[in-house]
Amino acid sequence: MSAVAIWHRYGRGLAPLLWGAGLVGLLAWLPRAEGFFRWLAPGARVVIYPRDDFTALLLNHLALVGVASGLAILLGVGAALVVTRPWGRDFLPLASQLAAMGQTFPPVAVLALAVPSLGFGALPTVVALVLYGLLPILRNGLAGIEGIDPAVREAARGMGMSPGQVLWRLELPLAAPVMLAGIRTSVTVGIATAAIGSTIGAKTLGDPIIAGIVNGNSAYILQGALLIGVLALTLDSLFEALTPRRR
Amino acid sequence: MTETPRIALKGVTKRFGAETAVDAISLNIAAGEFCVLVGTSGCGKSTTLRMINRLIEHSDGEIHIDGQPIREIDPQRLRRRIGYAIQSTGLFPHWTVARNIALVPGLLKWPRARTLERVEELMTLLGLAPSEFADKYPAQLSGGQAQRVGVARALAADPEILLMDEPFGALDPITRESLQEELRRLQGRIRKTIVFVTHDMDEALKLADRLVVMRAGRIVQQGSPAELLAAPADEFVASLLGGRDRGLKRAALTPVARLMRPVDARLPMEPAVAPDEDLRLALSVMLWHRVETLAVVDGEGRACGSLHLSDLMGGGI
Amino acid sequence: MVQSPSARPNRVLLVLGLALVAALLGLDLASVAPNRILPGEGVSLWVWLGPGSALVWAFPLLLMALAWRGTPRALHLSRGLVVVALASLPWVLAAFAASRVPDALPQARVTLGAGFWSLLFVLLMIWVELQARLKGATWLLLLPLLSLALALVGGHLESLALMREYASRSGAFHEAVRYHLLLVSAAVGLSLLLAFTLALAMRRFPSLRRGGFALLSLIQTIPSLALFGLLLAPLAWLAARYAWLGELGVQGIGWAPALIALVGYSLLPMTRNSVVALDGVDPRVVEAARGMGMSPGQVFWRVRLPLAAPVILEGIRITTVQAVGLAAVAALIGAGGLGTFIFQGLGQAAMDLVLLGALPILALAVAADGLLSALARLTASQSSREAR
Repeated sequence: MSAVAIWHRYGRGLAPLLWGAGLVGLLAWLPRAEGFFRWLAPGARVVIYPRDDFTALLLNHLALVGVASGLAILLGVGAALVVTRPWGRDFLPLASQLAAMGQTFPPVAVLALAVPSLGFGALPTVVALVLYGLLPILRNGLAGIEGIDPAVREAARGMGMSPGQVLWRLELPLAAPVMLAGIRTSVTVGIATAAIGSTIGAKTLGDPIIAGIVNGNSAYILQGALLIGVLALTLDSLFEALTPRRR
Repeated sequence: MTETPRIALKGVTKRFGAETAVDAISLNIAAGEFCVLVGTSGCGKSTTLRMINRLIEHSDGEIHIDGQPIREIDPQRLRRRIGYAIQSTGLFPHWTVARNIALVPGLLKWPRARTLERVEELMTLLGLAPSEFADKYPAQLSGGQAQRVGVARALAADPEILLMDEPFGALDPITRESLQEELRRLQGRIRKTIVFVTHDMDEALKLADRLVVMRAGRIVQQGSPAELLAAPADEFVASLLGGRDRGLKRAALTPVARLMRPVDARLPMEPAVAPDEDLRLALSVMLWHRVETLAVVDGEGRACGSLHLSDLMGGGI
Repeated sequence: MVQSPSARPNRVLLVLGLALVAALLGLDLASVAPNRILPGEGVSLWVWLGPGSALVWAFPLLLMALAWRGTPRALHLSRGLVVVALASLPWVLAAFAASRVPDALPQARVTLGAGFWSLLFVLLMIWVELQARLKGATWLLLLPLLSLALALVGGHLESLALMREYASRSGAFHEAVRYHLLLVSAAVGLSLLLAFTLALAMRRFPSLRRGGFALLSLIQTIPSLALFGLLLAPLAWLAARYAWLGELGVQGIGWAPALIALVGYSLLPMTRNSVVALDGVDPRVVEAARGMGMSPGQVFWRVRLPLAAPVILEGIRITTVQAVGLAAVAALIGAGGLGTFIFQGLGQAAMDLVLLGALPILALAVAADGLLSALARLTASQSSREAR
């Protein structure tokens, strides 16, 4: 098998492993790369971001995004299911309008607007991430469920499936790929927005970048940027690998 | 005979808001009968069908199955007892053919082995080689194949009643005709009570034991195809039956055997028709060969009778 | 067969009406602070108006009564009510300021409270719900905007903290808006040019597609802050190396990395929509145009492009809305624009300064979205009419 053929067969599963290995490698290398960063930022007194351990920042970043995405998935998928049940259908037009219009709001603005009511720190970041992150999930959830061929639904009912069976065997499996795409978007935006959360006092991988900008230290900036970039690519490739191939 | 009809509709009405879709219709369908509801679109035939398995609840009147009012039966249990096939098949796109067919046995919690056996049996019955089709997905099937799977799925739990809503409506004429043939052959073997909705009168004439013509939510006329052709109740039924083309349609419903005289030794063996072929075909053969009499020859090539044009004209049809 | 629209209670409006009641009852409408430093004292509707607040209570109750009836007529009436309520909000604030801000303290200011924001949010939700049921008459929303403009021009809202912040830096604010718009339009214009060229190339050489889109979505995946950061060092190096770049204003921080990053992010949606748009043109139409003897150029300019325009416009819409938000982040690397106020405000814990940046950004994004989608609809209906 040629390298190209191997990549085509196993590439999707391999990519997250490679990016993940890159991330771990970065974590191991950055604290030892004093020489490289001294060359990069000759004027700076300290060249390795000193205030926190990179691993701790990464884990904190991941925890923020993880908690927020978990909640966003629960709320988004839950809302999508509620408004597509017969008893919740009255709320469907409002929900789909909100999901579409909410995405016009820039995430930075949502983040900034969370501060006046919730103060600084991790909490407003998580709240902003949840609020913003559930929109693509809700939108795709609705698209996935409403996109099911009405004839399939009719047949399911006509065969005597209960509403619960229709939900678990038909609606969720058929909507899953579209929902997964929404979750992917949500997580991608979440990682980016969590990084900006550094400006409102959340401890994330954005810290070295912000500190670097404030102190004019390009070494800090590069360290933070590399870690965030590789983290985002790792998670995105993971989603790519999870996405079922079209039959 | 006072046998309980398998399906009985008594003064059944369905209203959607201010609009009456089905207006006080009464209809008895006997066990094993092939009943076709026919009419133009919007006449209430589909609504009537869907009231039988409670996909739509009737507003007034009563529907009984084997003497029991269907309102007393849990809708899901009722539907699992009744086969249901629709025009766009409604096959689950994420399930294989075999899993689709096994849907209702699964809902009824049949043992696995019995389900598998049943799926294989049905696929064979409907001309879908299990080895070739069992693991395919609906998207990989042609329209005709998908419809066969749809019919197999409807029959899977061996229901007494089969509801079919224009199942062949979306197929090309050749596939449609072959599936009609097969359904007729199948019905000869399984003898289900079938309620079949169509707007295609030719299809209705070909399949029905009993035709029910509907218009604007009411039954205009019901009876056997031959009865309707012989005496359409009004202009509407007559035009639905094909107007002046009716004579040929009637001829198409009558087998040669009906008007056959004893063997006439003077007749040549060619041209000939078979006793189970219909009179429309016989007429066509007569026209083609410019003859007024035909030999009737059975499957083994033996002469078994003769057919005379004068008998066709004599009102035997 | 559709259920005919028989009147039944609109449950959504009932729930939203309850939310209105809760917001009015439980949350502070606004707070009054003597100056910028001292925290304000919250005032609820009840505290402000006392028994007089019964007048305000009548509104949600009337709305819920109409929702209970649920007839089209009742819904039209509630839409009128909501528009009136939205239009009166600025004047409610003006009245609040006039009655609660002492004239003796020129620095005293009114900060909008959770109650006010909830009120605004729920009213907008009611509007959205009613629009989903009734359609049309979107222009009604101009009335509240007009009312707001009148209140602002008349100087009735001067004692709002937001306006105090604006008054003390109006020059910088206008400059920031101008700069924000400039950055966004430059990014959208450049990416449109690049993306369209790229789309044409992808159509000419289909083998480019896979790799091209993979690269563009890779860029799109990298978080904005990281991309800005990754651009700093190389740009600083380039500017130091080539003097003419430095003279142009290219440096590690500032507009250069911002513009590059914005264009980078815009390329994926813009290219994807251009490709989809050009691919989506019915080949029979092109065939017919050729058959009539149109030259390849004429086919492109008169047939392909007009038919593809709505989808390309949709791409411009997505890109513009996205760029408005990303340009705010770019303020972190010194690119200026409205984001500056957000981050300054966060730095000083001055929430009204944050609002001075965030609200216009929201407004810009919503306006760009509305205008461009209206334009896309217009061209879509036009091209389909021409095709007919």
